[in-house]
Amino acid sequence: MYTLGIDIGSATSKCILLRDGKKIAGSSVVAAGTGTDGPEQALKMVLEAAGADRKDILYVIATGYGRKKFQGADGEMSELSCHARGVHFVFPDVRTVIDIGGQDAKVLALNEKGRMMNFAMNDKCAAGTGRFLEVMAGILKMDISELEREAEKSADPASISSTCTVFAESEVISQLSAGTALPDLVAGICQSVAVRAAALARRVGVREAVCMSGGVAKNAGVRTAMEKELGVKILFSDMAQLMGALGASLYAYDAVRDRETSVQ
Amino acid sequence: MGRNELLAQLHEAAASPKRQLERYLAEGRKAVAVAPAYTPQEIVHSMGLVPMGVWGADMEISEAKKYYPAFICSIMQTILELGIRGEYKGVSAIIIPSLCDSLKTLGQNWKYAVKDIPFIPMTYPQNRKPDYGVKFTMAGYERVIRDLEAATGARFSKAALKESNRIYNEHNAVMRAFAEIAAEADITAAQRSDVFKSAWFMLPEEHTAVVRELNEELKRGPRAKGDRKVLVTGILADSPNLLRAFDENGIRIAADDVAHESRQYRTDVPNLDDPLEALARKFSAMDNCSLLYDRDKKRIDYIVEQARQHGAKGVIVLMTKFCDPEEFDYVPIKRACDAAGLISLNVEVDRQMVNYEQANTMLQALKEML
Repeated sequence: MYTLGIDIGSATSKCILLRDGKKIAGSSVVAAGTGTDGPEQALKMVLEAAGADRKDILYVIATGYGRKKFQGADGEMSELSCHARGVHFVFPDVRTVIDIGGQDAKVLALNEKGRMMNFAMNDKCAAGTGRFLEVMAGILKMDISELEREAEKSADPASISSTCTVFAESEVISQLSAGTALPDLVAGICQSVAVRAAALARRVGVREAVCMSGGVAKNAGVRTAMEKELGVKILFSDMAQLMGALGASLYAYDAVRDRETSVQ
Repeated sequence: MGRNELLAQLHEAAASPKRQLERYLAEGRKAVAVAPAYTPQEIVHSMGLVPMGVWGADMEISEAKKYYPAFICSIMQTILELGIRGEYKGVSAIIIPSLCDSLKTLGQNWKYAVKDIPFIPMTYPQNRKPDYGVKFTMAGYERVIRDLEAATGARFSKAALKESNRIYNEHNAVMRAFAEIAAEADITAAQRSDVFKSAWFMLPEEHTAVVRELNEELKRGPRAKGDRKVLVTGILADSPNLLRAFDENGIRIAADDVAHESRQYRTDVPNLDDPLEALARKFSAMDNCSLLYDRDKKRIDYIVEQARQHGAKGVIVLMTKFCDPEEFDYVPIKRACDAAGLISLNVEVDRQMVNYEQANTMLQALKEML
């Protein structure tokens, strides 16, 4: 039995196809989010990856900013609940999830059953989000995926504002003019994201184990800066970006089981 | 009138303040704009003038940017914007109190930006409770009276103020009753907001009559379903898109601590021989508001207690962007909620914000948690 979770974010669309509520039959990530054909592409790709057909899927839950617009869903849930569920499936001991996506950052507090007990979201501001990294990578004429490698070379991260993307942009330009080394500049940018998200985490309360999810979690520079900022080890999975879709697929599985139970 | 007709009438008044103003002007009355958060409306009313609330509007700001930096309360900015654009044309004066730094700048900017509507300052004391604070408040009221007489030609009398104090106390009681009834009645967040918002654009005696009738209808009507109850706190909670997010997610407002709403109606004017002193005593007795100085921050416990009394499972802080008095209170509110086992959410609101998708996500997550 297949269930599908689709996470339609501001910058990417992600799918997880789950078999019998336990095994991941396929996954997909498309760099196109809500308002594009990204969700359809992601769906097509995950079906191809799993060798499955659309009609094999018994239930679909959509999550992410585009969750209400996706026509092919049987239900929708907030990405906060879905990330909590997805992370708990992969790391059952995690009590704090720091999820940084394309346009927002969230911190979730989980109990031992993986249930979300508290959360905080960033203000309506790009600082401390994936968009911030994207803007900074643009100024430095780098691909966002290159930031991680460059940050690793830094010995002395530059100080970059975590308050505002616009302020930070002018600071980066000033630092470039002042001849700051590129690795230090990139590490400073990663630190800026970490500082902002760490402040959000402290608002919720940091309980170990701590895990990062969302697209920005793939950046080791941000993860390392976060570890320094919070003074805790940050757990990471290669599936970080897919945690929301995974959680959605698990909720879809619950829905099928609930339906079957009610029929019996 | 039935429940729906009464709610429609209040919605009409809440949605069309300009039409309300034109109606009063057509009746030959003079109107005076009253800015947030507390002004002596009783004085305005006692002089035969119509107090009209001005809390800005959800809109883009252009003209007011000549006077304000970007990082300041958008309620103030949009009040000035509407003034510059001539949207308040017809009012005889505007009373702007000195209750926060942004309000102080509104008064100063108003004098230069909107020359055809006289600015009347209402300067309140920081220490409002001691006798010297009460005297200071009375002196502020006397200044308002003098300026109102000069701007409108109306005359002040203590006998008329005594009657207006009584009318406002009656309105307070009806609004307090409404808040309690609405907590259990089958009413949407938007309808609840209409009842509070319309109060700013109707004479209190008219509003009292409609809300009193509505209260009876709501008591007789169906009860609200579900137990996802919250207390809402903040300066303002009137954005239709934000209120829709509450309704869409089945989150019921069981009580509020909103400056534009219930904070207005908590304290009555005491019955004293001198009605002006009585009005000043009312201000001195007011509490539990971020704009009213209180070194003990009793408001924090008040919010938690109100949430408990009303069976709320969470506290939604609607944080007006760049409102420092509210921001200062947020940290102790959050800590108190955590200690009391109440979920608290901080939702940023702004007069220029149209898209409340992030707030919707937070409220949906709250629903899923509950």
